Parts: sequence; C-alpha cells; structure tokens
Amino acid sequence: MQSIVASMLRVEPLHLRSMLIAALLGAWAAQACADALDGVLEVRSAYVSVEGGVFLLHARIEYPVNPAIRDALHDGVILSVDLDARIERERRFWFNADVVDLTLRRELEYHAVSDRYLVRDARSGDQKSFATLEEALTDLGTVEGWPVLVEPQLTPGHYRISVRAGVRRGRLPASLRTLMFWTDDWHRVSEWYTWSLPG
Amino acid sequence: MVTAGLTPPPVQKPRWRAVALVLLWAAIGAGALLLLAKSVQNSGEFSRLQPWILLLNIVGVIALITLLARKITQLVRDYRAHVPGSRLTARTVAIFGALVVAPLLIVYLFSLQFLNRGIDSWFHVEVKQGLNDALVLSRAALDLRVREYSHHTENLAHSLLSTPAEDVAQRVYDERRATGALEMAVFGAHERLIAASFENPLESMPTRPPPDLLRQVQEHRSYVSLEPQAGGEYLIRTAAPFSDSVARSDTRYLVAIYEVPTQLAALSEAVQHAYSQYGELAALREPLKSGFTLTLTLVLLLAMLAAIYGAIFFAQRLVRPVQDLIEGTRAVGKGDFATRLPLPSRDEMGFLVHSFNDMTKRLRRAREEATRSRQVVERERERLAIILARLSTGVVVVDRELTVSIANQAAGAILGTDLSAARGRALPDLTASNQRLGQFVAALVVRFAAGREEWREQIELEGGAAGRRTLMCACTPQPGADRDVGYVIVFDDITNMLQAQRDAAWGEVARRLAHEIKNPLTPIQLSAERMRKRFLGTMAPQDAEVLERATRTIVQQVEAMQQMVNAFSEYARAPEMHVTRFSLNQLANEVADLYRPHDPRVEIRLDLDERIDSIEADRGRVRQIFNNLVTNALEALDGVDSPCLEIATHLEQGGDARYAVITVCDNGPGILRELLGRVFDPYVTSKPKGTGLGLAIVKKVVEEHGGRIDADNRAEGGARIRVVLPVTDSTRSAPGTRERRGELRREIV
Repeated sequence: MQSIVASMLRVEPLHLRSMLIAALLGAWAAQACADALDGVLEVRSAYVSVEGGVFLLHARIEYPVNPAIRDALHDGVILSVDLDARIERERRFWFNADVVDLTLRRELEYHAVSDRYLVRDARSGDQKSFATLEEALTDLGTVEGWPVLVEPQLTPGHYRISVRAGVRRGRLPASLRTLMFWTDDWHRVSEWYTWSLPG
Repeated sequence: MVTAGLTPPPVQKPRWRAVALVLLWAAIGAGALLLLAKSVQNSGEFSRLQPWILLLNIVGVIALITLLARKITQLVRDYRAHVPGSRLTARTVAIFGALVVAPLLIVYLFSLQFLNRGIDSWFHVEVKQGLNDALVLSRAALDLRVREYSHHTENLAHSLLSTPAEDVAQRVYDERRATGALEMAVFGAHERLIAASFENPLESMPTRPPPDLLRQVQEHRSYVSLEPQAGGEYLIRTAAPFSDSVARSDTRYLVAIYEVPTQLAALSEAVQHAYSQYGELAALREPLKSGFTLTLTLVLLLAMLAAIYGAIFFAQRLVRPVQDLIEGTRAVGKGDFATRLPLPSRDEMGFLVHSFNDMTKRLRRAREEATRSRQVVERERERLAIILARLSTGVVVVDRELTVSIANQAAGAILGTDLSAARGRALPDLTASNQRLGQFVAALVVRFAAGREEWREQIELEGGAAGRRTLMCACTPQPGADRDVGYVIVFDDITNMLQAQRDAAWGEVARRLAHEIKNPLTPIQLSAERMRKRFLGTMAPQDAEVLERATRTIVQQVEAMQQMVNAFSEYARAPEMHVTRFSLNQLANEVADLYRPHDPRVEIRLDLDERIDSIEADRGRVRQIFNNLVTNALEALDGVDSPCLEIATHLEQGGDARYAVITVCDNGPGILRELLGRVFDPYVTSKPKGTGLGLAIVKKVVEEHGGRIDADNRAEGGARIRVVLPVTDSTRSAPGTRERRGELRREIV
C-alpha cells in the first residue's frame, strides 16, 4: 500500500469573491456569527493518503462548543456539520479548474429521551450516540480515510486541495429557509485549509 | 427645448430604450425567481448564494435610492426654479405616491401583525408543557426498563462469580436467551473476551464497548445507557463488573445489550421527534419574526422606492407633453410659429399636441399671409406716396388738432413752405414764418370750429412773393376710419386757371369790341370829315370855328377809339405763329436802337448773353414783347430823375431744355403792391395813359411760345419783368409745354 502524506504548504483564502463579500457584509456577518457559533472553528490539520489509487482525506477539525450551542441542541436544534473538500488543477492563464468538489455532511443532534448526543451521517443515515457533547464533537472532528479522489481523475499538472469546515442550522423547513436569510446566525465556515498535491 | 427661429421637426425617441428597460426588469425578476427556487431546493446552494442575494438586494436598494434621489433633487430644483410642469409633476407624484404608499403601509403593518401573532400562536405554553410531560413520561417508562435490565445484568454478573469458568459461556447463553438480550458478553482484563452470546447467529464478535463504559467498569461501577438507533429503535447497553478478588487487574465485566420493546420505542421516538421539532421551531421563533419583519420591510422598501420612482418617471412622462406645450406656447408668444412639438402618443395628449402643431401651422400661414398683406399695403402706400409726390394738387391729412400725418410736396409748394418734416407736428406750429400757411390754417380752424367736416370751398391767400393766390380746397373725413382720426384736405392753386379764364373772357370782350365798335367808327369819322368839308366854307366864322372844333374832336376821338379797338383786336387775335430762327440779341439791339432816340434822357443799357446765338420763335411777336416791355418801362420812367432802362438776356438750362431769359428793368416807381398779382390782367394799370393791354398782350405772346412771365419790384427800386422763352421750337412741343397749353385751352373752354 502506497501512502503519501501530503504536507501542508500554505493556508490562504481561496476566492477573492469571499473577501469581497466578507468586506461588504463586514460587521453584520461578524456580529451574526459571534452570537450563536462563538468559538474556534478551524481545520487543525489535514493530509491525504493514497491507498489503491484512492486518495483518502484525513483531517482534524475543531468545532466550537459553548453554552449557546448546548442550549440550542437541548432545545431540539439539529446542527449540520459539513466538511468541504475541493481539488483544483492550476492553470497559468485562466481560472483554476475544479476537479473535485465534495462535501461530507453530518448532523449533530441531542436526543432528549435518551439524554445522548447523536452524530449522524446525512447520506448513509448511520448514527452514533455519545453521552457528552464533547465526545460527539471529538468524533465529528476526526475524519479518517474519506475518499475524495481516484487517480484516473488526475492528469499531469499541479493540483491544490482545500478543506473547509462549516457549521449551520440543519433541517430548516424549505419555506422558512428564505425567510431566515436575514437572521440566520447559525451558519459559519472556517478558512480554507489549502495545500498542494504532489505531482 | 424650444428655441426661437426655425425649429427642425422633432424626432421621436427610439422605442428600444423602453424595450431594453422592460427586458432588464424581466431579467432581474427572472433572476430573483431563479435564486429563490435554487435556495429553496438546496440549502447548500442557498448558503452559497446568500451573500449574492444580499448583495443584489443592497445594490437594488442603493440603485433605487440613487435614482430616486436624483429624480427628487431634479424635481425640487425644477419646482424652485418654477420650471413649467414641475408643479404638476410634484402634485402627480404626491398623489401617485400617496395612492401607492398608503396601501403598501397598510398591507405591511397588517402582515407584520398577522405573522407575528401567527408565529406566537405556534408556541403555546400548553404545547410546550405537554411535550415536556410526554418527554418525562417516556423517560420514566424507559428508565424503568433501563433499571430493570441494569439490575438484571448486575445480578447475573454477581452470579457469574460462583459459576465455574468452563460453564460461564453456557450460563451467558442461557441467560441471554432467558432475558431476550440481543447480545451478552463477558470481558476480562484489557477487554479480553471471555464469553459471548448473540441473538443474531451470524455475528461472532460482540460490539466494542464504548470508552465511558470501560471507564465505569474499571472503577467498579455498573454502566447503563439508552442508545437510540437509526431506525427508531432503542438499545439498552448495561455493564456490571464482577471480581472474586480485590485486585482490580482481575476485574471482569458483563456487557448486555437489550432492545426496548417496539411499541415503547416507537412511542418514545415519536415523543422525541415532536420534542425536537417543537424545539427547533421554538428556536426559530424570534429569527422567524425578525426574518419576516426584515423581508417584509425590504419588500416594502423596494416596492415603495420603485413605486415612487415609477410615479416620478410616469409623472414626468405624462407632464413632458405639457411642458412641451408650455414651451411651445411661449415660443409662439414670442412669435416663433415654426415650433413643432413631438407627438408623445396617440391618446388625447397626442391629439392635443397634434392640435397645437396644427394651430402653429395655421398661425404661421396666417402670419405669412399678414406679412404678404402688409407688403402689399406697403407697396400701395409707396405707390400712394409716389402719386402724392407727383400730384400737382396739394394733399394734407390732419387730425382734429391739425397734426399732420401726410403732406405731399405739392402742398408745401402751394403753401410756400417745406412740409417734408411736418409729419407729426401741428400745422399751427409751422405758421410762424409763413403768412400764407397761417392764412390756410386759420381758414381750416374756422371751418372745424364751426363743426364742418366735409366742405369744398375757395380760399384766398394774401401776401408772399407770389402775391394773391386762390386755392380750391376740399375737406373730407378720412374714409374708413374713426371720424376723430383725421381729415383729408385736398387743395389746388387755381390762381392761374382763374387768370386764364379771365384772359379768355377779356379776349372775347376784345373780339366783340373790335367787331362791334370798329365798324361804326369809320362812317362816323368820314361823316364828320364830310360835314366839315361841306359846311365849313358856308358857315359864319363863329359857327365855322365851332364846327371845326367839333368835327376835329369827333375825328380825334374816333381815332382814339380806333386805336383802342385795334389794341383790342390785337389782344383778341387768334395765334398764328410764324416760327423762324433769329438772333435774340440782335433783336434786342434793334429795339434799343429804335427807342434810344425816342427819349434821349433815358439811358438804355444792354446786358446780352453771348451764349444765346439764335432762338426759334415768331420774330415779329418777340419784337412786340420787347416793344411793349420797353414802352411800358419808358412810360413808367416819365418824370423820373436819371431814368435808366436795362435790357438783359440770359441763357438758362432746365433739364434737357434751354431757355432764353429776357429781363427788362427800370428805376421807376415800380409796380403797386396791390397790383403785383394782377399786373398782366387787361386793364390793370397804374398809369394815367395807356390801354392797360400792353403787359396782357406780352403775357399772351409769351404763353403762345410756351414760355412764362413774372413781374416783381427790384430791391433797389423799379420794376422788373422777366420773360422765359424756350430756345428751340421742339422744347415748346415738350410734354410740359403741351400740358400747359392743354391746360390753357381747357381753361379757355
């Protein structure tokens, strides 16, 4: 089994668009995020390994924990805990080409009847329960062997992989989602964690 | 903007702008709908699009506010500057704004109230309490099971202490089957599996104990947990440590997993589901209200701004034709009839603009027609002025105050003053230096004062160098105008015509006298002479002397009468001219030589113009002119000291014609002032002798030659007679001469 551990090269904002919008929204967004999802939200480390031609992503993420989150979970709020992975092929005279754009969707829920925290894979429906929130967040913050790419998808060139974590209020009724446009302070994403895939 | 002068035809604004605007708004609307649909379908997409949607809304609001601010600023500026149509625009905007904003506000407030109350109504205290109670109940029910299973696991673990090691597996199997557990396993130190039993025969390995379980059993405490599963099931995981020694390293523990009964699990899951949903909705309560409020506010703001902008836009569009009409009306007021307004539409406003354009077109045509008429009137006036200038009749137009509005040259000539600058001045103001004009004005004043407005009378003017003049004057109110506006006074100098009539009358008298008196004179003379010859020798001396004296007296008187009759005959003689070319100066010399011996005392001087070589005229009659003038002068010089008579000739150029001027002057007493105007009339004389026909005959001869004669007194004393004769006979047949002759003939008839 061939294993390649990619070292982190640099961490940088991925899109100018984000900066522009962040500048425009400014204090509004900062103020909104500061209320509900206050705390550290960042990708601590990440790397990929290749096993049998499959690129597996491993990451350690720190999700925020605070009384507001705990209370909200106890009130029945379900949090969507996402991990975005994006692999781009660099181009010299044009925008980078997206090769892969994946999101690992999981949900964190407090189960009032059993007094446990549930971590559920949104796609498969598999779930695990934890006695404490910290345990649940630790589980969420540990991503091991998430397949993100297979070798045939790669052509010669330079590739960059970016990982970003996000937390938001999940299971919002669709009709209300538009209305929550203004006051949805339950949505936060981390900076992109970016490094290059060795050629 | 309408400018004075010729305005080019207006160009209709292209419709592509309106079409582009509609397409733009349609694209914005479609984009908004697309964003909405995407955001609803996919929350991730919504998250990605959220900043863009916000940005789009902010940009839209800013754009609308900017556009609106510009429009309102322009409107306020126009309103303050009293730009035409701005007040109407402001009023229309206010009305439209009120009509739109008021319902919007009502709907907004109603919607807010309705939504807020509706959302609040979702979260009744009873519901919350009921859910909590259900949750407590579920927990209690499950706790019962949990405690039961936990207790059973603890008992079993305790019984395993006394169970031989080789029987543990069987015991576990039996107990699992007896209790209905899904899984039962005994672990030793370091999670070493000692025995295990599964309900599912396909499983061979027990579930790995969770870390908290391990922690608790290592602390010799029992463990129990209720673990919800993905399918709505519940598992009760229990663990109980057991050890036959105090050494912790020898601790073993039993882990048993039970399944909660399906019905209880379903009920508990339903309670959990309801609790979770209610909690989530409750958490959304305030954000929902804020979201509704903000969304409604944004919609209201956008709608209000768009409505006010639309109101201004459409008001300005509506008012633009009115502004055009105002500008057009002002331009028409300034005389620019070439103004053409753009047709805004085919509605009533378009009809109004079309009518305005039609009106300006008609006005332009009317003005052109008026201009043409004015030009015609000007031409007519010029023609009238030319005619007036050429007229020999004087024409003066005055108002009741005698202020002159029209006066032709002939009027000035007849009145002996220059009336070219008299326009706008009162006639009485011009009389200071002119006696004749003063008499004329006085005659007018008398008649106007008497209330007479239309009259035709003869006016006699005395004085001046030309002597007494007779004017035939007619006055009539100016036709076609207010009677106070003015009077047309037409007058003609008929002095010459009257003179000609007198001349003709005298000619007739002379002819009759010659005819009636001359015939009996000869028999009277012959009879008297025969009577003296027959009876003179037979009569006594005394009687003979009487007879002699009587017959001589008769004969002398008859001769005198014959002379007089001959003179009359000469005056009345029909003009039979024998025109020849002769030297005028030579004739003058001859006449002077003839008269010098007659009275040696009189000095006869000659001043002859050498340029006059010859003249075409009747030599005998011109001699008669000289004779009569010299005789007349000599008679006037009788009794005068140092009598002197001067005969002068002079050549004058009058246009194309040449005239010979004969001047005879004396240093006698001159012509009496009262006779100055009538000195050429027959029987007008101041001398005791003479027939009074000498100058009359001269005048007659001169006029027969197409000449003219005038008499005046010299400043140094004495009379001066001036005769002007055309040099050539063709000059006499010139139009002016013929006209004068015709006039004479007409006057005589």
